[in-house]
Amino acid sequence: MYTYLRRSLAVFTACILVLALTAGCAQKPAAEVPKEPAPGSDKPFAGKTLNVIYMAQAGYQPPVFEARIREFEEKTGAKVNLTFVKYDEQHEKIVTSAAAPTATYDVISLDLIWTAEFAEKGYVLPLDDRIAKDIKKDDIAPAIWSAFEYDGKTWAMPFLANFQLFFYNTEMMEKAGYKEPPKTLEELEEMMTTMKKKGIVKYPWSDSWNQKEGLVCEYVWLTGAYGGDTFDAQGKPVFNQGAGVKALETMVRWLDKGLADPNSLVQDEPMAKDAFISGNCAFNSNWTFQYGLMNDPANSKVVGKAKMGLLPVSKDVFKPGSYETASVSGFQGMAIMANTKEPDLAWELVKWMTAPEFQAQHLEEMPVWTSVQKDPATLAKDPVMDVKSKEIAAVHHRPKVANYPEVSSIMQKYIHLALEKKMAPQAALDQAVKEIEALK
Amino acid sequence: MVGLATRTRREEHLFLAGREPPAGKLAWYLISPTVLVVFLVSLLPLLLAFALSFTEAHVVRGGLTWRYIGLENYRYYLQSSAFWESLRVTAFFTLVSLAVELVLGIGMALILNQPFFGRNLVRALILIPWALPTVVNARMWAWIYDGHAYGALNGLLLALGWIKEPVVWLSTAVPWANVPVIGSFLKWVGDSTALNMILIGDTWKVTPLVTLLVLAGLQTIPGEYYEAARVDGATLWQQFRYITLPLLKPVILVVLVLRTMELFRVFDILYIIMANTIKVLSIYTFEEGIVFGHVGRGSALSFLVSLVILLLAVFYIKLLYSEEVR
Repeated sequence: MYTYLRRSLAVFTACILVLALTAGCAQKPAAEVPKEPAPGSDKPFAGKTLNVIYMAQAGYQPPVFEARIREFEEKTGAKVNLTFVKYDEQHEKIVTSAAAPTATYDVISLDLIWTAEFAEKGYVLPLDDRIAKDIKKDDIAPAIWSAFEYDGKTWAMPFLANFQLFFYNTEMMEKAGYKEPPKTLEELEEMMTTMKKKGIVKYPWSDSWNQKEGLVCEYVWLTGAYGGDTFDAQGKPVFNQGAGVKALETMVRWLDKGLADPNSLVQDEPMAKDAFISGNCAFNSNWTFQYGLMNDPANSKVVGKAKMGLLPVSKDVFKPGSYETASVSGFQGMAIMANTKEPDLAWELVKWMTAPEFQAQHLEEMPVWTSVQKDPATLAKDPVMDVKSKEIAAVHHRPKVANYPEVSSIMQKYIHLALEKKMAPQAALDQAVKEIEALK
Repeated sequence: MVGLATRTRREEHLFLAGREPPAGKLAWYLISPTVLVVFLVSLLPLLLAFALSFTEAHVVRGGLTWRYIGLENYRYYLQSSAFWESLRVTAFFTLVSLAVELVLGIGMALILNQPFFGRNLVRALILIPWALPTVVNARMWAWIYDGHAYGALNGLLLALGWIKEPVVWLSTAVPWANVPVIGSFLKWVGDSTALNMILIGDTWKVTPLVTLLVLAGLQTIPGEYYEAARVDGATLWQQFRYITLPLLKPVILVVLVLRTMELFRVFDILYIIMANTIKVLSIYTFEEGIVFGHVGRGSALSFLVSLVILLLAVFYIKLLYSEEVR
């Protein structure tokens, strides 16, 4: 008995050792060697170092971002260390950096849903004085600035203007006998019903309704499409009345009628994009990134048949010229951590990275600057700029509350329960509001 | 006899101690850096987290703020239905995974213990799933389970004509929800189609480890036992039931201890495929402490989880110990 036990324990120990060894193999980055400070008064920040965290996911791609940073180093003589992480990892890394006596990161990209939290807890510096001195403020739309305002101050410099748009498959529409994209949600539902009846596509609508942040985004624009908002100006949840209820009822009805793909419940935005560009659905709503990918023959089966337009709104609130569309904002700004040792250098970097001339060179992302959006050179290069300009003016923000992650988690849970038909829409939203109000 | 053995050991001890008194001190000098590192990176944070679990704490610029609230955090969880739901779904995942892994692992080990052509190759091949990083495994199963016709599993089943419509494999619906007792039980434990499918993916990866351990145990059983049993006319089942299984008990216990601890802390495969949707204890703790920033409450939750694991460990150690004595 002893021997068997001992032998099996020996094998067990060997296994553990192998495990430990393989786990220890993760590579560590080589230590950074600081550059020699460059002499000369034209490089005022020579010898100083900045640490920047940015996401390697959506937005300007890492090589583009990095090239711009290297130019900054040339210009100022400062050394910039860049860290690229997944979008989901940013928040915890920034919070940890904020808790340190000296910032791990001096400059961060700030998602608009963190504005209230970071401002209220003092993680980032207010930028109003610097903006007033150095930035042409009226060249950026108030809808974009407002995403980064909290408590009467501005906490980040607008950088990325992401928002959702409407995507449609013209081939499927023509087969169903439609030439123009739907202007209202009612028209859209009618088109989808026809398509389904004629057997053109099994599920005309495929979206990102899995229990993640994306679900809240879809719900926010649909609530907007019924003329409402999820939270009122005082930060109180109001989505269990009126527009919010209609929005959720619409999602549930589309699932019930087989207009919306049941896969939507387990899809995030990239998966919803795959459904659209593989020709598995006729319509969806998604962020701007889908536009590039649906026109890329290497990835897409719908090149030449897919178009991007304005998200439709309900006929009850549709007003030509003033309320034709509703979207949701996914803006990101660049912010300066409050515990940085180099606020002036950090501001120089923020100005450099968010500058209009950089955005004009990289139109794969929507420029935040009105002058760049309206520039004839931009319009010549980007045929859908007018659609995007219209849509961005119609964005609805997610609530600006300091405990947003918790609020969002509750909304995701109950909206998803309603989509799974485990709860009725009204009851689910009532319960969500109740739990959000009980948060402390 | 006992007295003699003890005396000899004591003499030995005295002899060693007498001859090289600085050896103990030297040993302490040598291990002190390790002890210091372990204290700083493991013990100290543990103590701080324990202290934090009695506070309401938040991250502020340059540090933490906290307010002592006694056992309030623990009370909060013990009274919260979310905690008990999380405990149930974790226990369900652990128990079902353990059962499947053990049955498959023992079965595969029995086969691999028989001589057949290419046995060594097969033994090496079954280790491949276990060598995969969990992240790779999770992404792979996410692609396999994609709910469209282009998902790997759906594609295969459609091509074979076994299904007519693509199936949403990662659906959060409760399986067999309409079957009277089973349906309501599965709903109560928080089961879903997605959880069952991910369980298959996780089991696929870990079963080779179980097989390996059981195989090692099998090889220590002398062949004479089976010969004797055959002479006495024992059937294959009787040989397995009265020779193999009892002699494998210590190995099976080791597997149980190892896998229970790991399964109870499952995080990566569920988080990668389903984000925060399936709230097993680790994901629940991560969400409360890190995503929501309730540092104090999150610490209390992780100590509650540790307590459950500790109880399980004590139970298993008792089992192992009684086995050894017998």
